[in-house]
Amino acid sequence: MPVRWSGPAVAGAVIVALMAALAVAGPIVWGDAAERIDAGAILQGASAEHPLGTDNLGRDLLARVLVAGRFSLALALAATLIGAVAGILLGTLPSVLPRRAARLATGTVNALVAFPGLLLAMFTAVVAGLGARGAVLGIGAAIAPGFARLTQTLAATVAGADYVSAARMLGVPRRRILSRHVLPNIAEPLILNLTQALGGALLGLAGMSFLGLGVQPPSFDWGRLLFDGFSRIYVTPEVALGPAAAVALAGIGFNLLGDALARAAARTTVRKAEEPPAPPAEPDEPDPGAVLDVRDLTVTFPGGSNPVRGLSLTVAPGEVVGLVGESGSGKSLTAAAIGGLVPYPGKVTYGRLHLGGRDVATLSDKELGTALAMVFQDPLAALNPALKVGGQLAEVAVVHEGASRAEARRRAVDRLGQVHLPEPERRAAQHPHELSGGMRQRAVIAMGLMGTPRLIIADEPTTALDVTVQRQILRLLREVVAETGAATLFISHDIAVVGQLCDRVVVMYAGRVVEELPADRLAEGAAHPYTRALIASLPGLDTDRTRPLAGIPGTQPAPDQVGPGCAFAPRCSLATERCTTERPELDAHGPRQRVACWEVS
Amino acid sequence: MPDTSGLETPGTVTGPPFPPPGRAPEAVRRAARRRARVVVRRAVRFAVSLAVLLAASFAMIHLIPGDPVRTALGPTAPVELVEARRAALGLDRPLPEQFATYVTNVLSGNLGTSFITSEPVGEVIAARLPNTLALALLATLLALPAGVPLGMWAAVRTQNGRNRGSELTFGSVTGTAVAVPEFLYAIGLVSAFAIGLGWFPPAGKAGPITYVLPVLALAAGPVAMIARIARVETLRELGKDYVRLARAKRLPARRLHLRHVLPNTLTATLTVCGLLLTSLIAGSVLVEFVFAWPGLGLKIVESITQKDYPVAQGVILVYGAIVLVVNLAVDLLLGALDPTSEIREQS
Amino acid sequence: MIIKNLTVRFGDFTAVDDVTLEVPDGQVVGLVGESGSGKSSLARAVCGLVPYTGSIEGARRVQMVFQDPYASLNPRMRVGDTVAEGIRARDRDSEVKRLLELVRLPAEVAGRYPRELSGGQRQRVAIARALGGDPGLLVADEITSSLDVSVQGAVLNLVRGLRDELGLPMVFISHNLAVVRYVADVVAVMHQGRLVEAGPTEQVVGEPAHDYTRALLAAVPRLRG
Repeated sequence: MPVRWSGPAVAGAVIVALMAALAVAGPIVWGDAAERIDAGAILQGASAEHPLGTDNLGRDLLARVLVAGRFSLALALAATLIGAVAGILLGTLPSVLPRRAARLATGTVNALVAFPGLLLAMFTAVVAGLGARGAVLGIGAAIAPGFARLTQTLAATVAGADYVSAARMLGVPRRRILSRHVLPNIAEPLILNLTQALGGALLGLAGMSFLGLGVQPPSFDWGRLLFDGFSRIYVTPEVALGPAAAVALAGIGFNLLGDALARAAARTTVRKAEEPPAPPAEPDEPDPGAVLDVRDLTVTFPGGSNPVRGLSLTVAPGEVVGLVGESGSGKSLTAAAIGGLVPYPGKVTYGRLHLGGRDVATLSDKELGTALAMVFQDPLAALNPALKVGGQLAEVAVVHEGASRAEARRRAVDRLGQVHLPEPERRAAQHPHELSGGMRQRAVIAMGLMGTPRLIIADEPTTALDVTVQRQILRLLREVVAETGAATLFISHDIAVVGQLCDRVVVMYAGRVVEELPADRLAEGAAHPYTRALIASLPGLDTDRTRPLAGIPGTQPAPDQVGPGCAFAPRCSLATERCTTERPELDAHGPRQRVACWEVS
Repeated sequence: MPDTSGLETPGTVTGPPFPPPGRAPEAVRRAARRRARVVVRRAVRFAVSLAVLLAASFAMIHLIPGDPVRTALGPTAPVELVEARRAALGLDRPLPEQFATYVTNVLSGNLGTSFITSEPVGEVIAARLPNTLALALLATLLALPAGVPLGMWAAVRTQNGRNRGSELTFGSVTGTAVAVPEFLYAIGLVSAFAIGLGWFPPAGKAGPITYVLPVLALAAGPVAMIARIARVETLRELGKDYVRLARAKRLPARRLHLRHVLPNTLTATLTVCGLLLTSLIAGSVLVEFVFAWPGLGLKIVESITQKDYPVAQGVILVYGAIVLVVNLAVDLLLGALDPTSEIREQS
Repeated sequence: MIIKNLTVRFGDFTAVDDVTLEVPDGQVVGLVGESGSGKSSLARAVCGLVPYTGSIEGARRVQMVFQDPYASLNPRMRVGDTVAEGIRARDRDSEVKRLLELVRLPAEVAGRYPRELSGGQRQRVAIARALGGDPGLLVADEITSSLDVSVQGAVLNLVRGLRDELGLPMVFISHNLAVVRYVADVVAVMHQGRLVEAGPTEQVVGEPAHDYTRALLAAVPRLRG
């Protein structure tokens, strides 16, 4: 996992490197100056000779601050190692011990984590006595619970992984599972966390010494110098500044670097921004009969990736159009683009995107918010867990139509009844988690009915549901379309569902439409090789069990790896030379059917 | 027209003969029982932790190598005095009996007597505890309303990697602010505003104005910490489907963020709040030291330095008990506030 | 192998309720049901991954293939090492090669990491790993439900091929009745933890005896025309 070297990360690395250099060179270069007693220069403030003043024996404080770096860092390192080793051992215990003892160990760690480190450190310091040893042990004890918790969490995650279950079933010995599966997958985050722990230890030790509980004279670290300087702060404040600055700088350095390292563990790559694509060609005349009229819709992500390329489609009032394709075909992004929900940094361009005859860009929030209904795959995620169902529905009426709360609520209950949610009054007063999956999806559909929906976009609305529930939701969608006359775009990976529900089917592959046909022609009249292969791969209740099931070799190209020709050509049994170099346009193929293929048109 | 024969007649919900599991009264009762069990489990956990804390604070004195009384009184103290002190502390009794006495005493409010001043430890703590709690609570009350909006604002601005500049600035400023320990803030504030400008008294507790610098020193780091956590939590929520749906409904941004996102970050914020309060109580030790604030922190430093073990023991016990009480309160509050907490408890 | 009176409880929730089911030698038993039906808990019990009451007889060396091919392979192990994990034979390299060939993967895949493979390829690796343990029974838990339809067919063909070539008895779990019908010799239907119907595939699909089976069959989406 590469570290992203942003400004703060670089600053942190530089500071940490300087600290390391200081720890090595400090005592060698300034060691003598730091110990030189000068009876004539006792307790002085800042001067040209002593920039940070002198202490009660006339020793130069700047030199002492520079020399103290080694001791401060060494103590912090010792405390971190003690804490990390103890913590990792404590954290590994639950995965080695029998169940009861393991739970006890987990409980202990959880209890200890809740205690502020400084308290644990003081407890240990009381027991171990005043001085550097007590402080190091104390800070080590303070660090340990955090490491134990981290180890435990990481180990539990890995131990619950399917690949560990598989290894156990294969009889792989426990020790080997630990060394091959668990450790490699948790080592990296643990090591990355050491940097942050080191910074924390440094600050903790400085705090202990500053309180007079840590390093005792004649030894000195930054915290001790601060303790000495602090007593003179009213007379010569500058003597406290040197050690304070050193502590702050070290703390900041380790924290910034540690932050960058820890973040490297969990991060997605950010691609470079790039030029927007050229504007699409002048579109032809708009389709007056369509509620949704899309021409040349393109979605671009930085890095030359075009998940949706020049897509065109129309949906008439009361018509259900199925948009079908496999993962990576761009069908869901098409839905998001039409709904205006493409996430940053995606860019949407279009020749035309009309809803009810008007460009969506010119529609107000009120018009769009009431005319567009969306349904997503996971109804639990689509409902706000913190709000009651009724309130979430009522919102649209309150915000966009200025309805009173009572009126909006009444309408919400009415719409919940309209989608056949039993006891709508009671359901409206419940939270989403109290409803079953099917009920939740009904509630989401009811939400879309709060306004006057002209377009319903349903993105895999039944994929997360059981088949028997799926059937009810499909029936409900049909019913809603019949009642409202809304145009509906139904997105699914399942061509059988699409074929059953929809009037017309649009098949997508690698960001483009490859075929468009009436749904009842799917079984017999599909022309594009991809559509045909997709239908053939689908096992049904009358598939011949004695023959192998069809499949399509290879995989769909990633959005940034689509060549100049037909994207399906590498997997197509009919492909010729021309298919790989020249892209076929979507052309009419019989009545109400269009196909993009050289070989069938 | 499409063939809907496969979808049965619209308008009726016949469905399969097996209705989806609804929430019958039985289910509601079960949920209530589950909730009650959670409360009981938390209470048991609290009791066990308290017992462990008592044992630990008792053990503290016994873990000190050698004779704690001799260590405290020094090598020159007469043998009779040491023996008398040992007897007074009950250190000459068998261990189980000592522990029993200790627990009985603590539970009846008797925390022992100071080696140095001979004052009852309970009274010393009672006199100083309010001063420490005041600092910690004020700092929490300052840090929360400052940090949460800051973090939310940063999240909205930097969602999905937009405004990389803002993200870097936010990251490095809060990262730096978190890394500076409270005693350095305290020293900085004292040098600048008390000694340099003379606006505030440099130390002591006398009237509202003396609270300003200690509370600021204590709250500075937590503001940055809360802002960072609030940003991460908000970002997580912003990526969820219900936010997409709310966007599809074209809700105004204010409503989207305050009504939809904020309540869902509450759980994390509350958890942080609890951790924060406990860490502020510990952090107050250093701040009290800088401002000579007459709280528990100053007392514990004093007692450890002077080897006044009964006082150190008593103060650590009280600190520990505060931590446990705060955690219990947060747990119960979370259970009461979060509608989905019973689900989480199952998994 | 025979499962007798198997019950799995999580706290006071009964996931599998007194199920008795036989897996005949060399046959594929398809276990079908909706979410919460207990089919996955039953599978995990057979594999010894969850505690249960009742008895499982004659199931030696059970291996399992999991639903999510992205979570079931250790991201830090090469495919070859993953496949070799359960192999007892001395010549591991040639055994790995043989297993990869068996699941129709080219031998050079052994040197790659899981992230370099597609979902379908990963699922084949998981199957090869399970075969390396020389299983007496293979449990396949929703192994095609996270795959695209165009890739699913090949994996289903592989499952059938393994039964024909190796005579390997299998429990094949899926929520998709059409998929189960295609690969299984015997179909068992689960609903709310109970086994409601079991029998030869053609019989269960053709003349379902239980209302729930009929409801499931009616809900399978079909192309019109």
